[in-house]
Amino acid sequence: MWGRFGSLVPIGAQTTQISQQRGMATLKAISIRLKSVKNIQKITQSMKMVSAAKYNRAERELKQTRPIGAGASQFYEKAEVAAPTDVPQRLYIAMSSDRGLCGAIHTSVARLIRNELLKDDKNIKVVCVGDKSRALLGRTFGQNIIFAANEIGRLPPTFLDASLLADAVIASGYKFGSGEIVYNRFKSVVSYSTQTLPVFSLSTVQSAPKLSIYDSLDDEVIQSYIEFSLASLIYYALKEGACSEQSSRMTAMDNASKNATEVIDKLTLAFNRTRQAVITRELIEIISGASAL
Amino acid sequence: MSAWRAAGLNYINYSNIAAKILRQALKTDVRAEAAKRDSTTVKITKWVDGKPIKNVE
Repeated sequence: MWGRFGSLVPIGAQTTQISQQRGMATLKAISIRLKSVKNIQKITQSMKMVSAAKYNRAERELKQTRPIGAGASQFYEKAEVAAPTDVPQRLYIAMSSDRGLCGAIHTSVARLIRNELLKDDKNIKVVCVGDKSRALLGRTFGQNIIFAANEIGRLPPTFLDASLLADAVIASGYKFGSGEIVYNRFKSVVSYSTQTLPVFSLSTVQSAPKLSIYDSLDDEVIQSYIEFSLASLIYYALKEGACSEQSSRMTAMDNASKNATEVIDKLTLAFNRTRQAVITRELIEIISGASAL
Repeated sequence: MSAWRAAGLNYINYSNIAAKILRQALKTDVRAEAAKRDSTTVKITKWVDGKPIKNVE
């Protein structure tokens, strides 16, 4: 932290003060740095406040959304839908958002997908939700991206957002056997974990071994349900992601404010010490000047 | 095949249209709250051969 702010000192100020002790910046330089760090702290503190408010809302909404996600994924579990071996194509949906400064939220999602892509980049297509995952994956794996969505994370996600995404996945015409939604599951204010939700295509579900436990299913019901459950799962993942993001940003900004306090303390100390040194030097100059008369 | 699917809609479009109509039919005191859920900001950009394609719309 200390070293990072060292570069803010203007070079001119250092060269003119060669006579001074090494490492002792001028009073002016220190006060400029002090001011800038204080401003940074103000910014991080207010960002923390904003994300705390957003987090409260996101958590409240997440509680309401959890049953939707659980319900949608229960179907795949109960029917024992498994990824088909004859269709190797897979789909990964990266749930991130447009905004940074929130810890490793976006990188951990991107890392999980990157690891899969490094194993096999022929049969995997990626959908990037949010600018951050697109920026992280776009450069190296641009070939694998079907579409990217942005303008996410400014407002709390709505079901309409999820519907648009699910619709775009279906409309893209990409024939995948199985897929995964990669998102950050919110655990508590201080922790989240990157997890995946399975999604499957119509043909995969139709060939599931235990589908018969569900009564009166015809193809159209299954197709409608698959479409709807994709939207529900995306909606749930968006909510989890939004909540994790806000809580993570809160923690990150809290840490940033703490670090800024530390830097301010050190700078204040250095400032006072330098000021004292200047006063002492001036006194010595006056006294020795007076005694020379 | 149901009429809406024959018209080229999938279940997501169909249920969203139904939800929209339902929201409009609500009483005024709850309609404003429900209308907040009736918005989306998401923009989708297609990628072909590793490059994003500009949306015409």
